[in-house]
Amino acid sequence: MKIGRVLGLIFAIAVLNAQPPAPPGGPPAGAGGDRGTGGAPAFFGGPPHKPGGPVQHLADGHPDIQGFWNSGNNGGAVFELQNHPDGRRPFFGPGKGAIVDPADGFIPYTPEAKAKALDLFQNHLADEPELHCYESGVPKQMYVQFGFQIFQPANYVVLTWEFMHAYRIIPTDGRPHIPANIKLFQGDSVGHWEGDTLVVDTTNLDDHTWYDTVGNFHSDAEHVVERFTPVDTTTIKYEATVEDPKVLTKPFKMEQDLYRSTDAKYEQMEFGCIEGNQDVKHYTKDKGGAADIKVK
Amino acid sequence: MKSWLLDSIVAGVAAWVLSCGMALPADAQSSAARAAYKVPRTPDGLPDLQGIWQVRDTTAALDVQDHAGALGIPPGRSIVVQPADGKIPYKPEALAKRRENFKNREAADTLNKCYMPGVPRITYLNFPFQIFETPKYTLIAYEYIHNYRTIFTNGTGHLDGLDWWNGDSRGHWDGDSLVVDVTDFNDQTWFDASGDYHSGKLHVVERYTRTSLDTLQYEATIEDPEVFTQPWKISIPLYRHTEPNFRILEYECQAYADEAAKGGGQ
Repeated sequence: MKIGRVLGLIFAIAVLNAQPPAPPGGPPAGAGGDRGTGGAPAFFGGPPHKPGGPVQHLADGHPDIQGFWNSGNNGGAVFELQNHPDGRRPFFGPGKGAIVDPADGFIPYTPEAKAKALDLFQNHLADEPELHCYESGVPKQMYVQFGFQIFQPANYVVLTWEFMHAYRIIPTDGRPHIPANIKLFQGDSVGHWEGDTLVVDTTNLDDHTWYDTVGNFHSDAEHVVERFTPVDTTTIKYEATVEDPKVLTKPFKMEQDLYRSTDAKYEQMEFGCIEGNQDVKHYTKDKGGAADIKVK
Repeated sequence: MKSWLLDSIVAGVAAWVLSCGMALPADAQSSAARAAYKVPRTPDGLPDLQGIWQVRDTTAALDVQDHAGALGIPPGRSIVVQPADGKIPYKPEALAKRRENFKNREAADTLNKCYMPGVPRITYLNFPFQIFETPKYTLIAYEYIHNYRTIFTNGTGHLDGLDWWNGDSRGHWDGDSLVVDVTDFNDQTWFDASGDYHSGKLHVVERYTRTSLDTLQYEATIEDPEVFTQPWKISIPLYRHTEPNFRILEYECQAYADEAAKGGGQ
């Protein structure tokens, strides 16, 4: 599966490059569907997103958000979370990113952190965590490609991704966080419901993940509060407020829409990554990789 | 049928045991307790297998058959219950391949490369996993390299033409047991660290049965006409984690290997 996915990503990048940026809030132009016409929208084709009916509820009174969802990828956040008015040539073109606070859409880095992010982009793209088959961390996990499934067993919300076969287990039974010295790629998430909104508090994140593909990073002091608010049966408004006193001068907030797959036959496939990863050796030496070639 | 004969023998033996005032042997006690145990239900009315489970017999992942101890390998009894001799019924040429695998196990076992472990091996690796149930799916989230398995209990059938590390799992509830049919495997995984192997024709039928509040019996019937002369079956108990603070954490094999290669780590 890996090769096809990576080709898909490269194709998607090419499409983003070749076309004007997607309108804010809307999915980029379809890059061809590999899931038939009813697959999760927004990235790999499928029909344009349509608002659904009124939010349905489970017997326990919480909204029924079970099913397959995909990031609307507002503003090309999967490539770069923050505003990128000039794009990152030759990788991708301009986009607004998904940050709504601060209003300029940029990550409020300290000066040292801003310099480090630039150095990561210029000299260390081969350290990009997903290149090494790592899980994506929070909130990045919520806007990776290929979508995810939500399960609502008693006292939990559980999310599973096709990408890297990552998962998040979110208990909603009021338990406390684990001790601070245990750091995890996906962090430790605890959730509770505020009306129809699922609020998730995540700590214990390690510093191995990035926010995107171009070196925007966080420390192990990252703390994320996410809000999942179902708008209708096919739309969830997703908000994440991120604080990280080691890297940021103030918290920032991102927003995106999550869209439900309306294809009744949709299923997630197995996604092998470590099993046959060819990416690392194809990265060039000037980006910290092993390949001894020059890309013009 | 002869069941009346069996019944009367069982009844007679039981009466004899009771009349002698002898304590039942421990295994008979536990099987009686198992028979009496009533599996709880989820809010959706399903047999409740939810919880965090793990094997206690940590030698099965090293060698599923009877084996003596060796450096770094504690001894262990076979978890193969059929055939009765506890041996995997290899074809002669397959047994030779198994011996070859054992010699080359360090390099040839894909588990040593942090790859997905396959089924049933993932169940008896010495790592916890958590079972979640909803009406359409049973989800198993494994701590080991964030593997998960979505077991469809929504009546859908297998997909065709796939070769997956952990296979394609379609399940149904049979009384209080979850029965899972797993196909679409590749030929890259082993049953243990000793070279016990299969081809891409592997077909596994798992059965998860809760036998008490804190135990779950895991059985798997394994067929593969390219490698074995007949189907065989393993059975191993799983134990529930009852520590109040216990939870699934992360074991990120590849990331730790990368750290070690850089001279880092915790």
